[in-house]
Amino acid sequence: MRRTLAVARAEWIHNLRDPRSLFVILALPVLLLLLYGYGINYDLRDITFAVYDLDDSEVSRDIIQSFIQSGYFKLTEVITDDRRVRDLLDGNRVVFVLVLPPNLQGALGAGRPADVQVLINGVETTRASAAQGYIDAALARYSQTLIADYARRQGISPPQPLTVHSTILYNPGLSSSSFIVPGLIAILVAILSALLTSTAIVREREWGSFETLVTSPVQAPNIMIGKILPYVAIAFVDVLLSVLTGVLVFHVVPVGSVALLLGVSFLYLLASLATGILFSTVARTQQLAILVAMLSTLLPTILLSGFVFPIRSMPLPLRIVSQFLPPTHFLIIIRSIYLKAGGLAVLWPQVLILALFAFVLVTLAAKRFKKRL
Amino acid sequence: MPTAVAVDKLVKKFGTFTAVNGVSFNVAQGEVFGFLGPNGSGKSTTIRMLCGLLLPTSGTATVAGFDVRREPEKIKANMGYMPQLFSLYQDLTVAENIEFYGGMYAVPRALIVERLSYLSERLELGVVLDRFTGTLSTGWRQRLALATTIIHKPPLLFLDEPTSGVDPITRRLFWEVIDDLANDGATIFVTTHVMDEAEHCTRLAMMHYGDLIVEGAPAQLRQDIVRNMVEVRATPLWNALEALEHAPEVVEAALFGDAMHAEVHEDIADPEATVRIALERAGVQVEQVERVLPTMEDVFVSLARRHEPADRAGRKG
Repeated sequence: MRRTLAVARAEWIHNLRDPRSLFVILALPVLLLLLYGYGINYDLRDITFAVYDLDDSEVSRDIIQSFIQSGYFKLTEVITDDRRVRDLLDGNRVVFVLVLPPNLQGALGAGRPADVQVLINGVETTRASAAQGYIDAALARYSQTLIADYARRQGISPPQPLTVHSTILYNPGLSSSSFIVPGLIAILVAILSALLTSTAIVREREWGSFETLVTSPVQAPNIMIGKILPYVAIAFVDVLLSVLTGVLVFHVVPVGSVALLLGVSFLYLLASLATGILFSTVARTQQLAILVAMLSTLLPTILLSGFVFPIRSMPLPLRIVSQFLPPTHFLIIIRSIYLKAGGLAVLWPQVLILALFAFVLVTLAAKRFKKRL
Repeated sequence: MPTAVAVDKLVKKFGTFTAVNGVSFNVAQGEVFGFLGPNGSGKSTTIRMLCGLLLPTSGTATVAGFDVRREPEKIKANMGYMPQLFSLYQDLTVAENIEFYGGMYAVPRALIVERLSYLSERLELGVVLDRFTGTLSTGWRQRLALATTIIHKPPLLFLDEPTSGVDPITRRLFWEVIDDLANDGATIFVTTHVMDEAEHCTRLAMMHYGDLIVEGAPAQLRQDIVRNMVEVRATPLWNALEALEHAPEVVEAALFGDAMHAEVHEDIADPEATVRIALERAGVQVEQVERVLPTMEDVFVSLARRHEPADRAGRKG
């Protein structure tokens, strides 16, 4: 115990006295959270559009008004020359152009079918498809009012369409921050933890202190635990910082138990720290260790953990791989706690898996660490 | 005296290169065992095998009664090791480094305090306790390294060139500490390049290109290895040196302060007369020719020359 603590204390001091690791510990999580939190945003507001109104009638102005009033769209230009339509779309100046054909009002008045053209900039596919949804809805709403008006003029009651009452549970506003911030915390902890410990052993080799460390009577498991211990505290601070940033900056507050969240975080960061130190026992230089830690955590955790892409829609081999990543399981837990107030009664399988990961990875690192040159 | 270190036909190969070539020797408990040899002769590799840092390719070694292959951890609990290269944490202060080692060896806290004050005084570390280790000069670093190595009063100590890059005063201090430890019954296994340090040892072994070429007490080696050593004073000294280098009876001649040491072939019955004749034939004015006991350096150089690598080029990879 004394020996383990001696190793832990030295490692703690290395971190406190190294400005680079202090930056990684304190500033990086907040910076990354801000960067990704603002950067990744699925919510669409102010979809820019231009209007090419060839009818210039009461009806055409009505349609334009209904777009503006929906709150989703922002009219940036009224086009008077049809060459301008391509200019705006080619130059990515607007998301779509609404073209109202001549004689729109006349056709509608005569009871003939009338067409409205919408040209959507398809370069950014997610934005285009979201915009299309909003546009369809806006036009459908306007058609409804046309039918209602017609019925009223004919003195009959308008036909009642089927009304859908959909209620979205857990995230009623479908705010993407509520979805992304907890996910980001999971990803950040995985990456930072691996990064922090990836240099812990290989650094000793470069400093030359490895030789006296392994000729000491401190056993390999004690060295491993002593090395990991300070980072448990450090990574815990990172979890707190991330949660706090989520609350203060993105107003994302976990509805579930914060105590449970922190408790499970402990298992999770233990598994992540052990992953990093495992790389550290293998790599021969710090640069290599950092590179391996970054590559092996950054991409798989972001792409395969279910952070961005739902695991259910992945092909089977990737679904299997995703199960071997601790973030996959922690993501389920943290999202559940943040959005559903999920408790241990529901989450115990994931918690168990994380505990298993932590145990296996720490054991593996201790086994891998040889007290020889 | 019980045996502290027993080495039998120890071999270490790195690929095709043989670093240690079937070395055998024993170190008795309480000895100050000097392990000599030029750079790259296999001294550090041998020490690293004895500390359990490297696995021997073949042969056996027991340290403090434990086999280096099977029970390296039991050896580690009973020894202190000061590597050739400085290996302490430079971002820790001197006191923090000493406490770290005390912790690693589970020295009781009260004892650490006691040892810290002893070492501060004995190695004069008191004035630098709060300095960052990275800011220390070589001499101070070596003092600190020695302090951390003996913080737990190990019964067996491996010191790999502890005095390299150290000034004469610090060097003397080191040997006082080493003598203290030996007087308390510790076994010291020390490597060095500095031949007058070898005199401090109770016994010496010399490595050369992976082979152990000689073993014995310093006084005995000085008597046995180089029998016919003469000290020459003559003018001009340079001409004298040249004359002796070409004399067939002289094996080796080298400047020694304001005089010259010449090793005369051991078959020559009267080396003084032989040298005097050789010098006078060359027209050098001889002031004094006197038979002397060789220094350790003479012994070392003579031995190194006798085991030239050219003779053994075939064996080396």
